[in-house]
Amino acid sequence: MATVQVSEAEKVYILHGVRDDLRVDGRGCEDYRHMDIETDVVSNTDGSAKVSLGYSDVLVGVKAEVGKPRPALPDQGYLEFFVDCSANATPEFEGRGGEELGLELSNTLYKVFSNKQSVDLHSLCISPGEHCWVLYVDVLLLQCDGNLFDAISIAIKAALFNTRIPKVHLSEDEEGGKEIELSDDPYDCVRLNVENVPCIVTLCKIGHRHVVDATLQEKACSVASLLIATTHRGTVTCVRKFGGGSLDPESIFEMIETGKRVGKALHTPLMELLKEEESLGKKRQKVGFLG
Amino acid sequence: MPVDHRRIRGPDESFSPRLFLPSGSAKCAAAEDRRSGDGARGNMDVRAIFARCGLVSQAKGSAYIEAGNTKVICSVYGPRETERRDETEMKRGKLLADVRLAPFSCRKRGQWIQGTEEKDLSQFLLESLRPGVLLQKYPRSQIEVCVMVLENDGAFLAHAVTCASLALADAGIEMYDVVMGCAARRSGDAVLLDPTFAEEHDEHPSPSGKESRLTLALMPAMNQVSGLQAEGEMDAESLVEAARACMEGCYKLYPVVQQTLLKSVRKKAPPPES
Amino acid sequence: MAPSLRTLYVRPNSQSDKSSIPSQQPIGKHSSLLENMSPMKLCVPGERLCGVEDCIPGTGTYLRHGHIFASLAGYVLRKNEGEELPVISVVKETEAQLLPDVGAIVTCKVTSINPRFAKVHILYVGSTPLKDRFRGTIRREDVRATEKDKVETYKSFRPGDIVLAKVISLGDVQSNYLLTTAENELGVVVAHSEAGVQMVPISWCEMQCPRTHAKEFRKVARVQPEYLQA
Repeated sequence: MATVQVSEAEKVYILHGVRDDLRVDGRGCEDYRHMDIETDVVSNTDGSAKVSLGYSDVLVGVKAEVGKPRPALPDQGYLEFFVDCSANATPEFEGRGGEELGLELSNTLYKVFSNKQSVDLHSLCISPGEHCWVLYVDVLLLQCDGNLFDAISIAIKAALFNTRIPKVHLSEDEEGGKEIELSDDPYDCVRLNVENVPCIVTLCKIGHRHVVDATLQEKACSVASLLIATTHRGTVTCVRKFGGGSLDPESIFEMIETGKRVGKALHTPLMELLKEEESLGKKRQKVGFLG
Repeated sequence: MPVDHRRIRGPDESFSPRLFLPSGSAKCAAAEDRRSGDGARGNMDVRAIFARCGLVSQAKGSAYIEAGNTKVICSVYGPRETERRDETEMKRGKLLADVRLAPFSCRKRGQWIQGTEEKDLSQFLLESLRPGVLLQKYPRSQIEVCVMVLENDGAFLAHAVTCASLALADAGIEMYDVVMGCAARRSGDAVLLDPTFAEEHDEHPSPSGKESRLTLALMPAMNQVSGLQAEGEMDAESLVEAARACMEGCYKLYPVVQQTLLKSVRKKAPPPES
Repeated sequence: MAPSLRTLYVRPNSQSDKSSIPSQQPIGKHSSLLENMSPMKLCVPGERLCGVEDCIPGTGTYLRHGHIFASLAGYVLRKNEGEELPVISVVKETEAQLLPDVGAIVTCKVTSINPRFAKVHILYVGSTPLKDRFRGTIRREDVRATEKDKVETYKSFRPGDIVLAKVISLGDVQSNYLLTTAENELGVVVAHSEAGVQMVPISWCEMQCPRTHAKEFRKVARVQPEYLQA
């Protein structure tokens, strides 16, 4: 993980700030940094989004491909997650350096989405037992400045909102063989319902309090953090403790409560923003990567 | 996935015939209560465990745990010299954890090569154990914890945590506290503590449709949670409830773990003359 | 400690053999069931032993919030060592996990030499054998206390020699443990001549082969009599 070295004096400074609900960059304990979201940034994908949170930059591309359903769940499609830690972000990621972090992130994403609610997997089925849509969600880390989980989850939600899966028709010939026909019209496509896609809130325990959206400096002061994924209704889909320290049970319950509250509040403005951006249509001026 | 091409292998993909059973015919434990399944075990009861230390003669410390049909073995090696020296911190020891599921441990055959799932399990084990170990006592060295799951009948990760901390204590690695693991499954409103495999993978949706799994690692004497992982659908209240149930489960198993450790201490040597 | 086949077979076959959970046991933070099991008190990691005002924490314990806790599973020992308070420690059957520490006397085997330093494997710390091998380095200037600039490593050690040394530093990221033999009591204790016979020390810097009577240079240790046995 990209880390920074923090001296004891700096740690004390950050710690005291957090105690008084005033963080180094002027935020309160439950505030996010400035966030920029842009969808439809890569033309070769079926859906894409770029999110920058402080100086963390995440790019997500979704590609839909036709595959075979899993034998255990023949009437459902599935999602595949892959997180690539690019050496652009930090030279530590060069070669196999980023592998561990990438695996940690993608494994967590599988957990966050391992429920029936987040994405309607039945809608991804083309013909039960034979064909289904497989959504490859590829995450690219362009810059690391802490709180990758939250940025990734928001980017995934935006990219899935942006995803357009081509419509297919299943036709049967005389011998009973099935054929998949792709619609000729490129605008004839299916959208996913992303209402229930959860957002991740990572809480870092600093001193006796916990903060949302920790920067790298703040992360260096914390020994344990708790990740909470919530939907817009406040349903928790994943909880996980990270870091080498341990947590008091009571503080865990408090953190879950905070995480749920913050996560719930995150969804409404996000959806509004995505809809607003979409309503701008083609005329929208694209910011791209150098914005 | 690297494949061994020199051997004649079966088809690229093979499936267990049990997958194609109609979903109703597979015997499922009742989700709402356990009357039909595990004898007289109540929803909030953990399975009786059998635990022993010091089974692997070559290891510095080892332990074996059996809970129902879940069987886990763990060996601890070290402290030994660190192999890779890229860590900036040399003042503290390094803890390494490795969880492996034997290919025959689950219903579906696994691979010998460690997959991403096992790496994830290893990470959970590592993060659960690390707060409990006095790593500053072992500068420049590494301690290796190897867990092999022989049979998976549910909640194996929780038992792997307990087993690993028993093995660490058996190896004489200094620890702040033993680390206990406990798992729970929530289906609708019912919490099943220490679920069996059938209970974990019960396909029947409960009326409310919400189900979740939770694994928790607790240091009982310090009352600190060192590991927590939950997935599924749950509301915050039920999550807290399940976590509390798991902590209670850990406290229930704590005396057994204490006894096991004391037994192994007494078996190894008579009390020294003071 | 290897369990024989027989003991493996007398494993639980009845449910009753599995340690059942004493449900009536008060499940508190510190279970009291350990007291009345053995005249010698036993403990497990995390158990509170006493307050810091009653004892001085010794090996196998740690301090937290003014209390002494056990960090090992073993026997609790209280020893009065002339201080006001007894020292409380936890001991296991074997010596506690010993790692080479600064100031420790170690026994090592020379694996390679070059003009600047000798590389060794640390085999023993004090009288405790190490299960795993740790590597160490004796630099040229740490071979002896006097005339450091005139030291020649190949006139002090040869690969295969058994050397007594003292740890001076744990080293940094690049280096191994740094050792010194700059004391009369430290240096080569066992060495073999080119003929393959164990040599006899004849001075602090020479050893002689009993078969060929050839003399070879070594930094010889004057082993303290109490360490000589059999």
